[in-house]
Amino acid sequence: MAVCVAVIGKDNSPLYIGGIGNDTSTDNELSRQWLVHTALDALEERLASTNTNNSGANANAARTDLRDLYLGLLYSTDTHKIYGYVTNTRIKLVLVTSSTSPSGSNIRDAEVRTALRRLHALYADAICNPFHLPGDQITSQKFDKQVKNIMLNNV
Amino acid sequence: MRSSVSYILSHAPGESVMSHPDYSQHAQHHACLLVLVKGIGGMLKNFNKLWERIQRVNNIKVTDSTGQVRDIWVRYVRDYPVENNDWGDFQTHRRLLGLITLSKFTNQVELNEVCRVHESLKVKYSNTLYDSRAFMFGPVSNMKKPEQEPETYSYFEEERPLREGMDDIAPSEQADSLSSLDSFPQSTSSNSSYPLQEEHFTTPSNFKTHAMFYGENDPVPDLEQNVADLINSLFWVVESKRLERSKEKLEKVSLLLAPFEKKDFVGLDMESRNNKKRCMGRVTKNLADLTLQAGLVADSLSLYNSSTELLKTDWLWLAAAKEGLCTASAILLYPNLRNPTPLHRNASLQENSPNKAKQLSLFQPNSDSLRRLKLTSSPLRTSKTSSPVNPPSELTPTSSDSVETSSRQSETDNADSESLASSSDIEYQSHKSFLAPDLPSIPRQPPSQITNQFLLNGEEIAERYREAIMDYSKYKNAGVIETEACFKAARIAVEQTNSLHASSFLQNVIFINLTLSEQEKIQRFETLAELYKEIGFHRKAGFCQRLAATRQVSPNNPSPDWQKCYYLMLHSFPGYKLSLDPNYVIQHQVGWPALQIQLLQELVVAARRMGHPALATRHMTFLLQTMWPHLSRQEHRELAIQLQALSAQCEGGPVPLVLETGEALSAQCEGGPVPLVLETGEVIPPANLTHVPHCSWFNARPLPPARAPHLRQAKPAHGPFIFTPIHFGSLERNAKKDEGKMEYLWVEDDICEVQMKLTNPLPFELKVSNMRLLTSGVVFESIPETIILPPDSPTTVNLHGTPKEVGELQILGYSTHTLGVKSNCRLKNMPTPHKFPASYTIEVIPSLPTITIETIVAPSGNASVTSMENVGSTTNISLFNGESTDCSIKITNTSNVPIEHLELAIQSNMDSQLQSKVFQYSNEDIQALLPIPPNETATIAIKLYGEADFLDLGGVGVENLFPLSLNSNYPSRVGSPVPNAQTSLPTQSSNPQTSLSSGLIPNRTSGSFRSTNSHTTSWSAPISVMSPSRGRQIETQLVIRYSGGEGEMHCRQSTLQINLELLPSVSITHWDVLPAEIPSQLYLVLDVTNLTSEEMDFHYAPSKHILIESKESCRVPVPLDRCPFSTTPSKPLDEDLIESKSTNTGTSTNSLELMCSEHITNNISLRWHLMQSDITGRASVKGITLSQAMMDIVRMSPLNWEVSVNSQCIKPQEEYNCSAGECLSLGVAVWNHLSRPLHKLCLSVQFYQDYNNGVLSYKLDNRVATAGNNKVVLSTLPESAKAYHECTVVFLTPGEYKIDIQCSTTEPVLDEIPLIKETEHPSIIQPCAGEVSHIWRFIPPVAISVTD
Repeated sequence: MAVCVAVIGKDNSPLYIGGIGNDTSTDNELSRQWLVHTALDALEERLASTNTNNSGANANAARTDLRDLYLGLLYSTDTHKIYGYVTNTRIKLVLVTSSTSPSGSNIRDAEVRTALRRLHALYADAICNPFHLPGDQITSQKFDKQVKNIMLNNV
Repeated sequence: MRSSVSYILSHAPGESVMSHPDYSQHAQHHACLLVLVKGIGGMLKNFNKLWERIQRVNNIKVTDSTGQVRDIWVRYVRDYPVENNDWGDFQTHRRLLGLITLSKFTNQVELNEVCRVHESLKVKYSNTLYDSRAFMFGPVSNMKKPEQEPETYSYFEEERPLREGMDDIAPSEQADSLSSLDSFPQSTSSNSSYPLQEEHFTTPSNFKTHAMFYGENDPVPDLEQNVADLINSLFWVVESKRLERSKEKLEKVSLLLAPFEKKDFVGLDMESRNNKKRCMGRVTKNLADLTLQAGLVADSLSLYNSSTELLKTDWLWLAAAKEGLCTASAILLYPNLRNPTPLHRNASLQENSPNKAKQLSLFQPNSDSLRRLKLTSSPLRTSKTSSPVNPPSELTPTSSDSVETSSRQSETDNADSESLASSSDIEYQSHKSFLAPDLPSIPRQPPSQITNQFLLNGEEIAERYREAIMDYSKYKNAGVIETEACFKAARIAVEQTNSLHASSFLQNVIFINLTLSEQEKIQRFETLAELYKEIGFHRKAGFCQRLAATRQVSPNNPSPDWQKCYYLMLHSFPGYKLSLDPNYVIQHQVGWPALQIQLLQELVVAARRMGHPALATRHMTFLLQTMWPHLSRQEHRELAIQLQALSAQCEGGPVPLVLETGEALSAQCEGGPVPLVLETGEVIPPANLTHVPHCSWFNARPLPPARAPHLRQAKPAHGPFIFTPIHFGSLERNAKKDEGKMEYLWVEDDICEVQMKLTNPLPFELKVSNMRLLTSGVVFESIPETIILPPDSPTTVNLHGTPKEVGELQILGYSTHTLGVKSNCRLKNMPTPHKFPASYTIEVIPSLPTITIETIVAPSGNASVTSMENVGSTTNISLFNGESTDCSIKITNTSNVPIEHLELAIQSNMDSQLQSKVFQYSNEDIQALLPIPPNETATIAIKLYGEADFLDLGGVGVENLFPLSLNSNYPSRVGSPVPNAQTSLPTQSSNPQTSLSSGLIPNRTSGSFRSTNSHTTSWSAPISVMSPSRGRQIETQLVIRYSGGEGEMHCRQSTLQINLELLPSVSITHWDVLPAEIPSQLYLVLDVTNLTSEEMDFHYAPSKHILIESKESCRVPVPLDRCPFSTTPSKPLDEDLIESKSTNTGTSTNSLELMCSEHITNNISLRWHLMQSDITGRASVKGITLSQAMMDIVRMSPLNWEVSVNSQCIKPQEEYNCSAGECLSLGVAVWNHLSRPLHKLCLSVQFYQDYNNGVLSYKLDNRVATAGNNKVVLSTLPESAKAYHECTVVFLTPGEYKIDIQCSTTEPVLDEIPLIKETEHPSIIQPCAGEVSHIWRFIPPVAISVTD
């Protein structure tokens, strides 16, 4: 279902972009980057608005309450749908599904949500590596493999 | 949002589909009258100005028949497709109501043509056109007739009742006849217009338009007035139509149709209830549109509302009604939408408020079209499509960031929609504050004025618009309408600062499937990008711009336009967090490198394809420089090769050549790569390649030692280091400030050097040419350098230059020319991790002379040229001890500065005394040579002398101090001089001589004798070096300090190394003194050893010489005058001697000995001559030490003897003969030569026999008889007095007798020295130290041979 998964740092720098596609040529990789990069605007906007809503919605409880990390559909193009997820440390997880493929065309929101949650867990695992410098690109092969698994299996 | 049931009611394409979307449409345009402004005929110079002026007249106020003031808004367009006119029934604001032509003619033919075009335009839009104006600009300036204006007014005065009457007349006219009605005002206006005809120009008869004539350069003062008139007339037509429509009977109205609907209703029952309702709804909607246009916004709200009720299922019209409701609400809620640029003559809704220059929404289309105008007017841009060109400020990241942040903040401010309206104004203020910070804020419309039950609030507007768009989407043929609605909704959302809504509306645009031309698609993306930018979605905007750019050059595009593509790409930079300034990008490192690289590569291609290789080169350089860390090695290589190819291209072109090489002419290198200025005024700053080659080390070098300036006055000696824990702040600060300040100095007009280490990171050989230094401060002439760097190996490069002024020089970096690109690599912009100071600061002092030195050593003739660079050059000279030679130093002034100061100093491992003996030169002579003008030569003569101590003591240590002991050993050692034998001599402690000085300071003992003797105090260290038996190496540096010109404060220093090798020549191993035959003379007996490897001719007396074989030793007697008693030493006793005396108290012998030694040294002349190599030299016995006994011999006796036998004076060496028993009278006369009396002199005469084997027999009792005292004591012998003593002697037996006549004293010696000294140094009184008695003998002893 998912064709691309991206982890983006809090300064909006790409930490990891992984995708499965017909080919792994640079062209494909680049198009994924375009997709994810363009989603950042909406993602930030969403983030800013949720924050203000939280603060405006009189209840501090609501704020301390678990903010839903899942942001939902950020935007969609003719061929892809882009979902966003933001951790509490403002690490952005972006999942791109293909609306042209039969499996991705009518994917349910809940599926995406769980996939992103699992991705979050994987990311946390990867970050736990003491040799990983926060803010650096994630080069862990294990992480890459597991992310690819999510993308494939979750269909 | 998109309806899933889209196209359900669509028809096949090919219908009259509105196919030209107007992307610049705003919601408020629903309430505007559409007027086309067209320039026809020749191009008007001031067309843009006129267009602006016309645009300002976008709002007039008209008082209607009921006395109500109507606000009429106008929208001016430059172009309008006729097809869109067909939708005029659907949405009345799409009707083109007015026409203004601005035309230029120069002759009658042109005038006719202009009139024809105007009329044809009228025909083109005849369906909707109500009125038109023609502004004609002729060649003559005074074409305007003054009486025209009042006539026009009078026309309007008459016109109004006429119109109103007409409205009354034709209330029930059918909609079908609208076209004829439309033509009516036109005809009236043409009727009433007065075609102005100058003498020379006549308008064609069919030209029936209200035309105004001006000269081309006339100010056209009444332009606004005329335009307002047109609007006025348009309003009345619209108003009449509105009234007409409102008076229609709803039951009888005909069905209004959208253009594509015509077929739909064929065969339908028009009389059905449903259809009736549909008709009514549509008419009501049409009426609402007209009401809105006629300035009755509030009325239109209710009409729209009622029409929505009527049009329950007629989705297309329902959507239009909803949209109308939204737009009307928006117009009321957001009056800012309608207040674009400052309007000077309109009275808006807020009459009392100051005119507000609201630049947000309307500013865009206005400026947009303005820009479009500019673009079209620029010769290169032929297309009329709008391409949003950002103001350059938006390209700078700071401003774009601020926009983003401010919009962010705004969204956080607007928590709910209620506060939105009130906050939005402030919001805008902050939002646009960077554009026009001083704009007054417009007060909101009071809520009371806009309370209307049908008024939608912000949230509702968005919701209704969403519904409307959904409804539109059901009709494929309404795609354009839907697209426009999306944009309009998005603009309202922008006004509401609801970015998410705006983005969702904009997102919807993508999905609308329209068959558009490429240009329109591009335009769509551009508009999207613009709106995205407004809501702060820069990435989206960038994405859209890139899409538009790729469309521009896509293969589908029949007319690819690389230039537009390029500009679009360029303007999408902020979306990717890119800046045109490479330093910014490097410093901040934001954005996604992969995308940035892609964008830059595409930009390079676009720039190249649009025929601007210089630009492509610049961008490629930028790409290499900024993205270097993100590129792989392979990419580095590829891009570098591409860059090379690009730059090669651009050097071929003439224009970039100027750009690229223009700065090469600037000597100062400050110019460097110049920024490129695009046609749009944007500046592409230069990108400097600091990675190719990579600099890992950069340092300014001091001048080489030979040229380094020194302070002429030596710095005051540094005081003792005192630690203090107190840090004075000022000192700290000074230290900080001087970072990068070099300690050394550079000299004006002198070549200076900067060393750097470069690495070529590319896998091929890199040629870097024209490398220079970048400096500021004083004028600096940098010498270009060209190097070829092999891949991946650090290369050290030296850059040279010459400062041309005095002052502070800052070295800021270096410039390179590689891969065809010039770069100014400034240290402060150097890539990490190498941290260089921002600049190196070096003090430049005035120019100083330079010299070359040539050394010529006279005899051997070996000359060595020492250039000033070559510091290490040395002159090697070998000298035998005692040899002397001349050395001349030729100093050539190689600079343009005269040498005015010259100092010569010698530094060596010798002490200064010895040094002055070895190197003899005259300072006065040197000073006399000055000044040395440029390119002149001066010669300094230096005499070198192989100074040595020839007294070889055979070894080292204290034992050597006692050659005196030779005296005792003398007989046994005759003929076998073994120098080393003396090592067996008694040591100091057992020596009585040392006990003499036992009271001395211990450390004096080792060198006391010699040091006093030689007049030098510090021989102790070099003395071992001076040992004559070994060769000595003297390393000498001849330091020449010179200066001149303005830089007198400083001087240069040249060092000349002279290695002097002193070879042993002769040594004197032993010596003794013997009395000579004459009392006034003595023999100094020397054991001379030839230490050379050659045969030596040794001259020791004026006529005496001896040949000494190599390594052989000879004993030579040197005749010598005795030391005169009162002679002063040839050299006055100098100070250090006195000092040594003072410490040397009691050793009275020393000064005496010194005097004797001095005497000997001065009067002896030893010369040697090496037979083979014909070298001559001298030797001296300087420093000879004498024992007490020796001194008595050396010194002339203080007593003068006159010995007579039988009144016959005895001559020295004369033997006296007598027979045994003969009575001899021996007379001894003694003169005191001292200047003071002698006391207790004991004169004794003794007879002895010398057995000539060393045994003297004094026991002559039975052989000699004497009469008279043989021993008398003279109590006093006054000075210059003579004492005479006589005795008689009879030799009883024959034999050889000798008479020892001597005078002794027990006390006098101690008095002697003061006696001598007193003549010169009366102050020195040496106390007695218990000296033994002194004996003076008559030498030689009188020999008497007695015969029978």
